[in-house]
Amino acid sequence: MSDPRATVPLRPPSPLRTWIDHHGYSLVASLGRVFDRPWAALLTIAVMALSLALPLGLALVLSNLERLAGNVERSREITVFLREDVDDARAAALAGELRGNGAVASVRHVTPQEGLESLRADPALAGVIDAVGDENPLPHALVVTPAGDELALAGWLRELPPVELVQHDAQWRQRLDTWLRFGARVAWVLAALFGLGALLVVGNTVRLDIQSRREEIGVLQLLGATDGFIRRPFLYLGAWYGLGAGALAVALLAGAGAALAGPLAELAASYGSRFALAGIDLPWTLAVLAGSTALGWLGAGLVTGHFLRQTRPTGT
Amino acid sequence: MAVLRFDRVSKQYSGGRVALSEVSFDVAEGEMLFLTGHSGAGKSTLLRLVHLSERPSRGTVLFNDRNLLKVGGRRVALHRREVGVVFQDHCLLADRSVFDNVALPLVLRGLRRAEIGRRVRAVLERLGLGDRERALPAQLSAGEQQRVGIARAVVGEPRLLVADEPTGNLDPTLAAEIMALFASLPERGTSVMVASHDLRLVKRMKKRVLVLDHGRLVDDIAPEDLADE
Repeated sequence: MSDPRATVPLRPPSPLRTWIDHHGYSLVASLGRVFDRPWAALLTIAVMALSLALPLGLALVLSNLERLAGNVERSREITVFLREDVDDARAAALAGELRGNGAVASVRHVTPQEGLESLRADPALAGVIDAVGDENPLPHALVVTPAGDELALAGWLRELPPVELVQHDAQWRQRLDTWLRFGARVAWVLAALFGLGALLVVGNTVRLDIQSRREEIGVLQLLGATDGFIRRPFLYLGAWYGLGAGALAVALLAGAGAALAGPLAELAASYGSRFALAGIDLPWTLAVLAGSTALGWLGAGLVTGHFLRQTRPTGT
Repeated sequence: MAVLRFDRVSKQYSGGRVALSEVSFDVAEGEMLFLTGHSGAGKSTLLRLVHLSERPSRGTVLFNDRNLLKVGGRRVALHRREVGVVFQDHCLLADRSVFDNVALPLVLRGLRRAEIGRRVRAVLERLGLGDRERALPAQLSAGEQQRVGIARAVVGEPRLLVADEPTGNLDPTLAAEIMALFASLPERGTSVMVASHDLRLVKRMKKRVLVLDHGRLVDDIAPEDLADE
């Protein structure tokens, strides 16, 4: 017995409602396809995850190095050793003059006696200092913290008449900065290359999926499926792969960080440092997940778009 | 009013083979007609032009007064929803049930689940498949599969239904049964165009017949003249 209500003319709901329904359907259906072939999906996700983890790992190492360099950079004092004939009063006056200079943030005056005590506090040097006897060979020293351009200030200090020697270790810091910039660029290049690799991996996986469903797609097209309807499940499939790969990459990095944190802390402690490895934090994790999902979506979109262009009505 | 109008339509493939040449005819609303001719006469090409799998090289195809040559992009899909298609090999999705296969055109239109269920069950009932909705295509006989294909083609209430050799793989009894189903569709406002090379079956149906030969429309036989042919 047929249902008389079925003969009422077709009245589709609003386009927005239809669009939302189709997205919901595609989201669930694509997840179903991931679980239909768990091993194949896992392999794709693992390859993508490694591609993402390598540049991300390098970026994390660089971020830690920058943090370490930042700690070093904070101690960017210039040590000014005065000539032997400069007495207490002259040294104090010079320190006062420097404090009034806009290029100087602070000045600490280290008398020869204070310098000697400081050296004696170091167990490795205590014996040597005692062997020298009562005579103190150290000059007055001024420890200057620059307020601005430290190179210019160091150069200016060298020209002052009472100054014997200016100790300023800017060059190695500049080299470190250069290396860090180079490392950051390498990380970006690797990220681009491996990201392209991840894009190709997900694209190829989706291409194979399209090939295996070619007949079904053909039937759907003949029944009036729009490109969007055909494309959506594959886009979501790519996004699921990307999201899975991003999550696995974060997990790999967290695991690697946990494995390295202990030995690194011991190494740092042996140098009297409290430096600890900073892992991947929440904003980074979210950024990685969003980026990898977008990458999967993009890879799938490129392949699906290419396929759909090939299935347009032919001839004119 | 004509649902479909071919006006001096030609189709030539890139290799130079002419599939259709200067073909002109109209299909009226609620009309059923047959398209016949030898293999390679151009029947399938003509149907492909109707559901926009291909485009003509010359001439005009009007569907509901809409020039199909100017239909592109998303509107190709929307046009196909107005044309039901039945294939010789059914083209059912093997991993989906009868219900899901028949529901596809309604899913594409975004109908609510309850509405889809109501319409699909009504069509399956009408085509004698009411008790087979959960079966997979492989569990059906050839005749049942073809009826599922027809159910899928008509569930969206298309303006025009085109069928390419729909009884090619069926025995005569089943073929007659399927043709009777087609013949019942115009009562519901659907025009039907069936390509078939089975002349005995075509004659028995007593409907208008277009005869194609080497891409040319060589005869347009009215039902009343059919007995004389």
